[in-house]
Amino acid sequence: MEVTFAVLLWGVRIAFLVLLYLFLIRAFAALWRAMRVEEAVAAKPTGLAFLVVQKSHSGGPRSGARLPLRALTSIGRDAGNDVVVNDDAASSKHALVSFRDGEWWVEDAGSTNGTVVNGTRITAAERLHYGDEILIGRVAMRLEQ
Amino acid sequence: MTPVAQNLRALTLSLALAFLVASLGVGYWTLVASEELSHDPFNPRLVAATRDRPRGNIVDAKGRVLASSQPSPQGSAQRFRRVYADRSLAQVVGYASFTFGVSGAEGAYGETLVGQDPGDPVGQWRARYLGEHAPPATVVLGIDPAVQQAAATALGARRGAIVALDPRTGAILASVSMPNFDSGLVSDPRTEELSWQQLNGNKERPLINRVTQGLYPPGSVFKIITGAAALESGFDPNAKVRVDDPWRADPSWGAYAVRSAAKAHGDFDMARAYQQSENIYFAKVGLQIGGAKIAEYAQRFGIGSTPKVDLPAAAGQVSNSRALDRPTLIADTSFGQGELLVSPLQMCLLAAAIGRSGVMPTPHYAVEVRDAQGHVVRSITPGPSGQVVRPDTAQKLTQLLVGAVEAPGAFAFGAKIPGVSVAGKTGTAENPAGSPHGWFIGFAPANDPTVAVAVLIENATEGGVDAAPLGAAVMRAALGK
Amino acid sequence: MIRMQPLRRFGELRLLVLVALLLVTGFVAVVATELASFAPVQPVVPLLFIALAVALHLFLVTIGFRGDQLLLPLMLALTAIGLIEVERLASNLLLQQLSWCVVAAGVFVVAILVPRDLSVLARYKYTWALLGIALLLSPLLPGLGREINGARIWIGVGFAQFQPSEAVKVLLVIFFASYLDEYREVLTMKRLGPLPLPPVPYLLPIILMWGMAMVVMVFEKDLGATLIFFGIFLAMLYLATGQTSYTLLGALLLFGGAYLAYRSFGHVAVRVDTWLEPFAGDTRFSSGYQLVQGLFALGNAGLLGAGLGGGLPERIPVVWSDFVFDAFTEETGFLGGAALLALYLVLVFRGMIIALRAPTTFLQLLAGGLSFIIAFQTLVIVGGNARLIPLTGVTLPFIAYGGSSLVANFLIVALLLRVSDVTARVRGPA
Repeated sequence: MEVTFAVLLWGVRIAFLVLLYLFLIRAFAALWRAMRVEEAVAAKPTGLAFLVVQKSHSGGPRSGARLPLRALTSIGRDAGNDVVVNDDAASSKHALVSFRDGEWWVEDAGSTNGTVVNGTRITAAERLHYGDEILIGRVAMRLEQ
Repeated sequence: MTPVAQNLRALTLSLALAFLVASLGVGYWTLVASEELSHDPFNPRLVAATRDRPRGNIVDAKGRVLASSQPSPQGSAQRFRRVYADRSLAQVVGYASFTFGVSGAEGAYGETLVGQDPGDPVGQWRARYLGEHAPPATVVLGIDPAVQQAAATALGARRGAIVALDPRTGAILASVSMPNFDSGLVSDPRTEELSWQQLNGNKERPLINRVTQGLYPPGSVFKIITGAAALESGFDPNAKVRVDDPWRADPSWGAYAVRSAAKAHGDFDMARAYQQSENIYFAKVGLQIGGAKIAEYAQRFGIGSTPKVDLPAAAGQVSNSRALDRPTLIADTSFGQGELLVSPLQMCLLAAAIGRSGVMPTPHYAVEVRDAQGHVVRSITPGPSGQVVRPDTAQKLTQLLVGAVEAPGAFAFGAKIPGVSVAGKTGTAENPAGSPHGWFIGFAPANDPTVAVAVLIENATEGGVDAAPLGAAVMRAALGK
Repeated sequence: MIRMQPLRRFGELRLLVLVALLLVTGFVAVVATELASFAPVQPVVPLLFIALAVALHLFLVTIGFRGDQLLLPLMLALTAIGLIEVERLASNLLLQQLSWCVVAAGVFVVAILVPRDLSVLARYKYTWALLGIALLLSPLLPGLGREINGARIWIGVGFAQFQPSEAVKVLLVIFFASYLDEYREVLTMKRLGPLPLPPVPYLLPIILMWGMAMVVMVFEKDLGATLIFFGIFLAMLYLATGQTSYTLLGALLLFGGAYLAYRSFGHVAVRVDTWLEPFAGDTRFSSGYQLVQGLFALGNAGLLGAGLGGGLPERIPVVWSDFVFDAFTEETGFLGGAALLALYLVLVFRGMIIALRAPTTFLQLLAGGLSFIIAFQTLVIVGGNARLIPLTGVTLPFIAYGGSSLVANFLIVALLLRVSDVTARVRGPA
């Protein structure tokens, strides 16, 4: 076939379609990677146990969120804590959750409004069982495996 | 997973499904319906393709140019303008307007006329993607100028339609639909808007090709089908049937009765019934053989299905419900009234099938496509559509129909041609709007027909008696008598 | 937000190179068809757009932006296709559209830089809501509102015209994200016997929303905006509560209202009847003319299309704003149209993943709602163009000619990027 203007123009038009698909494939590949990462993050268990947020309010951790616990986890309003509870009623350093000899313990870190376990304000370190509920400020969290 | 995350996933999934549906919809229009849309008469694309190039010619069987592209005067938007030679073929040749699309052969053979004949896929590809168009081809119609002229003259200014075809091949020799219009005005950018508005809004509907798209009650010409059904059901054509005008089968018919056109009293056999077009005879025969038989034979002759012709055509109907289930409806249908609707082309095919021993041809307007050098690219020879009745039935009916023209006192006497045996049948179709339509269908020579004709005159004063001489004139032209 | 070390965004850059190639190829095809030769042309518009794209990229790099790298190329690819189509269909509007791109990019930059913290959006939710309602009703004000093509949805100040409903969409999402975040718990409670209805005071916004949608449909004659507003509302209600019953109730209210409107208002009835039988008799020459011409364009597409510049989409009235999808598909074929839909879907998925990963419920609802706008608007207009649903005057995001819509869509992408940036800072790069 003779290389005429018409053939060249047709080539440019096809090139446009090819580029469109090239872009689409690249974009899709990037999306696919992001989805795989998201799946992995959702599936990967991190932490020994979780505090599952039961009740929250605007600005705080969202309800249903699973906050991973380490051997020693600090909770408070300050950004330096392991678990940040962004609540006016929480103190900047509010409470500590720790794992000792196969048992979970919680103690108040000198908060203004106190730490409440299963409806009772604690005064000393308190043993936690799975299913117990901790109230920090206005945010309620339950210990789960 | 948090509840909101769950909801996000569900919403995303439903959106993805909706996108899938949308792309299926796009796929439907771009891939599935594409063919149909590209042939829509109002699609401006085919006409646009020839804005700067001439369209091919449309010629008749004798090579007379019916439509051609001539260079426009300087300064007009289009470099070519379309010129049409024969107004009597307005609906057949059609128009090619940039705004209002194409019709007739201009539409049906639109791709051929712009140099993209469907028989040449490589050429189509080159035209579409490279813009390299083959020189436009010529479409040859089967129209015989002498027959066309005779048909146009015969119908004159009356509203109606005449169609003649060669029963051996199905090629249409003449096709007139009145009122007609000036294709040139619709195709010319300067006049298309006004012309189109006038034509499209006209209550007499000049844009419709009455030959293929006009639907009318067939009246007495339908008695040929009733006769065929009777003969093939073992009914004895010589048996005498008592006729007394008016006739009611039983009191349940109430005020309704079948009337005899001649207010006849007497015994009728089939031959006399055809000669005098006796309604009461055919009503009684129809009731005897039953509604299912009548409906079956009507469908065999193509009523209710679109003829496979190369221009747009209407299907017509046997009845509103497609069945004949009430005695009064069976009686009415048997002599061509009831809820029957047929096109002139369908009735012409009926005549052709009887004349050719029950073999019905496939009708077609175009007979050939020729390239720019005049070589035949393809011949259009669709072959017969099928054997609709037994040969002996067709021969018996031919004999009866010759009688209907030539016997003393026959209604269709007006169709006689000296020296040629003519078979035919008139019809006077009652219609709710105005005076009855006049029908004539026939073929000649009766023993080996080379022409079949159907004539329809809307709101004729004398019904079928008016139509028969028109049929004779057209057949004479076809036979060269 | 905290300035950080510049972060190389190679993924984004690689995709932007493809966008530039796509734009240039498309322009060459369109212009060469127009001139019937490859004569040298003024490459000003494509070059300016590429410069704009590079500037936006460098801007994100310089401020150490941590957010997503896919959204910007996707947005610019769609905008580039929009420019190609404007050149193809209404080249006299090209410079205007390019100027709108610059304005939209400015809004984009401001939206990335200015809100120090996205929670300010949540804090002033009632302000946004009131602003939205005021904007929505503004076209009805005599003197300010303008009626164009039978819909009273424009406000004009001097020579400039603006379609407030485009901004209202974004404001609505912000308001709903914040409102629903706050009252999610209450709304999810099951009350009133068998009916899972929330306490009456919380139903109020639903009813208010319905009323507003009806006002827009009846007084502004804007079916598209009505559908979009209500769609946003129902989708976000579902996202927050997961209650299908609300969505169904809301949809029933919408269809009930639409049916009443169909029976009582001419402009609604015409739309629906045209949709049902666009080819019928005289419809194809009157109310159905645009749709039928659009379908003819689709029918001409086939698999590969007529080639950019080679179709006849200019036969569709106002093709550059209402029927760009059909125009693009006619010339790039089913493959092109499907790729375009796929690009939108990738954009929407990316937005939804950003929503999934977002650290707070408010941000999740915000990102989900914003992504939904793009998806729903695309579906409504493509569905209308392909005669799957009645045609409504909604613009095809990023592509259709028009400034208000372009600005609003750039703003949406900017907000999505901000959410992804916050996530990346909280969770570490994924």
